[in-house]
Amino acid sequence: MNPLLAGVMLATIWCAGALVVLYMRTKAFGVRQLHSRPAGDARAGVRYAFTQGMAPQAKESVRMNPLSYLAGMLYHTGIFAGLALLGLKLSGLGTPRVLGIVALLGATGGIALLGKRMFKAHLRGISCPDDFVSNLLATGFAALAGITCFLPSFASLWLIETIALLIYAPLGKIRHCLFFFPTRYHFGAFFGRRGVLPPTA
Amino acid sequence: MSDVDELETRLEALTEADFQRGLEVFRSKLKEAEAAFLNACVHCGLCAESCHYYRMDPVLENIPAAKLETIAAVFKRHFTTMGKVAPGLVGARSMDKDMARAWVDAVFGRCSLCGRCSLNCTVGILLPRLFRAARAALGAMGLTPPDLQATVDTALKHGNNMAITREDWVETVQWIEEELQMETGDPEARLPLDKHGAKILFTVNPREPKFFPLSLQASAKVFWAAKEDWTLTADHGWDLTNYGLFNCKDEEAGLITQNLVDAMARLGCETLVIGECGHGFASARWEGEEWLKQGFPFKVMSILELMDEYLRDGRIKVDPAKHPKKVTLHDPCNLVRHGGICEAQRRVLRASAADFVEMTPNREHNFCCGGGGGQLAMGRYKARRLNSGGMKAQQIRDTAAEVVVTPCHNCVDQLGELNKEYKLKVQIKTVAEIVADALVP
Repeated sequence: MNPLLAGVMLATIWCAGALVVLYMRTKAFGVRQLHSRPAGDARAGVRYAFTQGMAPQAKESVRMNPLSYLAGMLYHTGIFAGLALLGLKLSGLGTPRVLGIVALLGATGGIALLGKRMFKAHLRGISCPDDFVSNLLATGFAALAGITCFLPSFASLWLIETIALLIYAPLGKIRHCLFFFPTRYHFGAFFGRRGVLPPTA
Repeated sequence: MSDVDELETRLEALTEADFQRGLEVFRSKLKEAEAAFLNACVHCGLCAESCHYYRMDPVLENIPAAKLETIAAVFKRHFTTMGKVAPGLVGARSMDKDMARAWVDAVFGRCSLCGRCSLNCTVGILLPRLFRAARAALGAMGLTPPDLQATVDTALKHGNNMAITREDWVETVQWIEEELQMETGDPEARLPLDKHGAKILFTVNPREPKFFPLSLQASAKVFWAAKEDWTLTADHGWDLTNYGLFNCKDEEAGLITQNLVDAMARLGCETLVIGECGHGFASARWEGEEWLKQGFPFKVMSILELMDEYLRDGRIKVDPAKHPKKVTLHDPCNLVRHGGICEAQRRVLRASAADFVEMTPNREHNFCCGGGGGQLAMGRYKARRLNSGGMKAQQIRDTAAEVVVTPCHNCVDQLGELNKEYKLKVQIKTVAEIVADALVP
């Protein structure tokens, strides 16, 4: 087996295992027992949180920052395209160029967000080195995934970058790929239970 | 010694044992949800404009993510592996005097716990939950701003947060009863005190007997019109406020809540009705049972819901023509965004006022007036409070309303100050005052 592919496999196992450990450590904090009577439906709140609640019309912050939202959407779509390409590569099914284009577009989104973080003082002020490392690794992953679709000679570099990304993911803020889901769940359950979300008007 | 000096002196005197105690309390307030929140922020910064502090003073320290990072940095350093192994990489910081000072500034000085940032967070982090944990930790280190703590201490000692004596309270109720009888022309109109077995126990904000007796009279008039079976209590349990929600010492908050529970048991009432107060409603309806770790054997509702029911059931009738002026509504954060009471006050106002206009944004997206989170009780942050209220002042101006209605006495106070500060030239009223004036036989 190609040692780089083996490395990706091992890094994937590390990443998944470390994320599971992180999740279990979070679970160890315990669940808050609630005694007050619900006024709404927590499940409806959770459904809303994962659907309409993520749409621009639900968030003033998104409406006021449409370019950042667009860059973020592109970035994440590109990363998912890169992951799809990785899956296809590991399965020996080739790397379709259409996904490569999506990954490259995603990388441009990542570069835009990195630029914003570097040049906007307030964003720089709330950043730590991890923010830059995480962005560079994820953007590099998407970019190299895209480039490899057109220039297969970049495959080795892409796989090395992938190994680095997978090793780092649980260590820094990329862990939000896991914690996004419980956070969104608790957000929806809280406002749903209190009858605030889904909104009535 | 001023409050500012006292807090600074305390900060300087902090020891390692204080930090450890603070961290233990902080850890004890975190559950699975909060631990997830502390791992979820991506520092996108899109929350900035959702905060009224940032809108009015766009400095780094006012960005919700920056306030959160102050807290998260300590969490990472003390409770995560990466924070211990590579603190510089992940922005972890030890709890020390500088961090304690930063925490005080972030969670007491730059946040009204309004939760607007939560709705606008790209991930959905409930930031006030984390800020409340931080306030609790600071309290354990003796760093609750003294004037805020004094409000809680007064409530614990006197049974109400303005140290009103039983004699003064009873006299005030009797005086308002006479006023109500004159206003209605009904010598049988009552403000019942300690009526055993009454269906409803009504609770008020001590500001009403102290400064706004007409507000209590208005609520009483609505009950009179609806022929409600209700009572006040002469002893502890008439004050609906609970600043334990703001100093975040759950044990103290629980003791204050217990006054309400004891009064309900003493009088054998079915329903506890919370007068117009945002934090009072959130405390009694949502947090009280959590502080006491048991469910109440009675129902808790807001007087807004009750008035809405009266109108729906035809128990009271109102004539909106009695309020021809343009009226707008300020949504108290603890009643609406954190309380779930969104539409009742709107139905009531639409029925009672001829020209009701919404602020933009409204309901769960409303801007805090700046008086929430205990800010009204923390004199050291007054300038920031009034400045942050500029968002609300602008919202009010944009409606061109002559009357601003708000179902919260803390908001009434803050809006009153904003009225002067920003020369809004509006009247500030509660919902019950609008309804009482619009009542028809």
